Amino acid sequence: MPPSHPSIPDRASAGPPSSELRDLAPEQSGVAAVGSAALSLFASARELYSLFVRTLYYCAKGRREPGAVLVQMYEIGNKSLFFLTVVMGFIGMIMVFQAGQQAKRVIPDLTMLGATYLELLIRDLAASIGALMLATRVGAGIAAEIGSMVVTEQVDALRMCAADPIDYLIKPRFIASLLMTTCLIVWSAAVAFTTGMVTAYSMFDVSPETFMNVSLVDAGDLATGLAKCLAYGAAIPIVSGHSGLSTFGGSEGVGWATTRAVVNSSLAVIVLNMLISAAAFLIFR
Amino acid sequence: MHQVGATFLQIAATVGGMAVLAGQIATRVATLRVDGAEFMRNLYKMGVKSMPIVAVTALFTGAIMVIQAAPLVERFGAHGLLGWGAGFGTLREIAPLLTALMINGRVGANNTAELGTMVVTEQIDALRVLAIDPVSFLIAPRFLAMVLTLFLSVIFADALALLGAAFTGDLLLGVAPAVFYNGLTSGLLGIGDVMSGLVKSVVFGVVLALSSCQYGLGVTGGAPGVGRAVNATVVASAAGIFILDYFVSFTLD
Repeated sequence: MPPSHPSIPDRASAGPPSSELRDLAPEQSGVAAVGSAALSLFASARELYSLFVRTLYYCAKGRREPGAVLVQMYEIGNKSLFFLTVVMGFIGMIMVFQAGQQAKRVIPDLTMLGATYLELLIRDLAASIGALMLATRVGAGIAAEIGSMVVTEQVDALRMCAADPIDYLIKPRFIASLLMTTCLIVWSAAVAFTTGMVTAYSMFDVSPETFMNVSLVDAGDLATGLAKCLAYGAAIPIVSGHSGLSTFGGSEGVGWATTRAVVNSSLAVIVLNMLISAAAFLIFR
Repeated sequence: MHQVGATFLQIAATVGGMAVLAGQIATRVATLRVDGAEFMRNLYKMGVKSMPIVAVTALFTGAIMVIQAAPLVERFGAHGLLGWGAGFGTLREIAPLLTALMINGRVGANNTAELGTMVVTEQIDALRVLAIDPVSFLIAPRFLAMVLTLFLSVIFADALALLGAAFTGDLLLGVAPAVFYNGLTSGLLGIGDVMSGLVKSVVFGVVLALSSCQYGLGVTGGAPGVGRAVNATVVASAAGIFILDYFVSFTLD
């Protein structure tokens, strides 16, 4: 146990500590457990909000460093491209296969399969599944990198030099993620649609001309999809940067931080998805 | 070209390593040389501790399914079919897939970090020195616990996602829970749909467990190495889950 361990709320919001600490800590029960969980949730939400606001401040007022942003864009964008292409390709095949299989039980006519699929893809699937994958790939990467820097005291060194780690570490990732998430999701929608088209042609004999039907896609769908891209692109680096910066406790701590980053950014994607979908449904119905 | 070849060789080496590990685990399980206490400890740590995340994910997923189906339902006025639509999507695909992804982030990554830390601090070598087989003491219990965790979590998630869907349908579309329940049980959905999801959950559990143990045991290079391994394992498991999902759905029908 390090001599100066973080305060109790910090430790609670930082996920499970090493097992010795857990055994030493008194077991809470009933109201106390619920209360401490609520308090730590509230504390994390406040920290995330403050991190978000400070990142936005540095985006507007901070140093200009296109080089760092470009490096992060390569790291976040190009390196995720292969992974995202594979996953979205398979997702396209699975979705069309399952939907066709089920639709045949109810309505024998599959001409609207492509139009419905494209609408769903633009409004929700491409952005949400793509962002879940990015939360895994990019979130884990950011947390592991920043977590290692914290553990090896490079972040403290930055603070010693009067440089805010948010300006140097989080801001470039934030801008890069905002841009590259949008690009990657547009690309993944294209991939998923293409593989879906091939599946529909080979399994259900729906010709590509019938499948490529944009009649159901309207401005509301596009706006929803784009809003999701931006929201996920902003949420992933903030959430995983936060768990990276709150790393403590050696190599095990880096592992914990990475785990927390993946789980929390996936949860953030799911919660944002529900909020934006519900809002879009109520606005554009 | 060189890079493509290197990537391919690396993937082949990882898959091969996973197969060898699977063989080792299978012999330990077949001869019942699995540490029971470690199994129970991991089952608690992986299963019980992941319940809140699984529950939150499932409730929100059910809600999202209904919100996405809502325009279609309103367009065709097919309120009775809402239960069927949400039910089939949830049971067959979304619940196993999203539960596996969340468990991948929570348990798989964690397992890699733990095993990786043990490797870096030479605890595995210490076990070997004490003539304790690391596979039967550490790996096989984790493998079994992870598969069982995912299987049980998917059952749990199925139920909660349908609950979330019924609640959202009532709130957003005015479809009464009884109508939703009728749509769910009207005969368009069978036990086959539930079984398909459960078969998937077992397959995903095997992939998750193998890849997280494999990457965890292969850690080199201190704290940054653990971070890199965790990153690699979540990416590899996620890709593996989606690829196998396709093949499982394809072979089951």
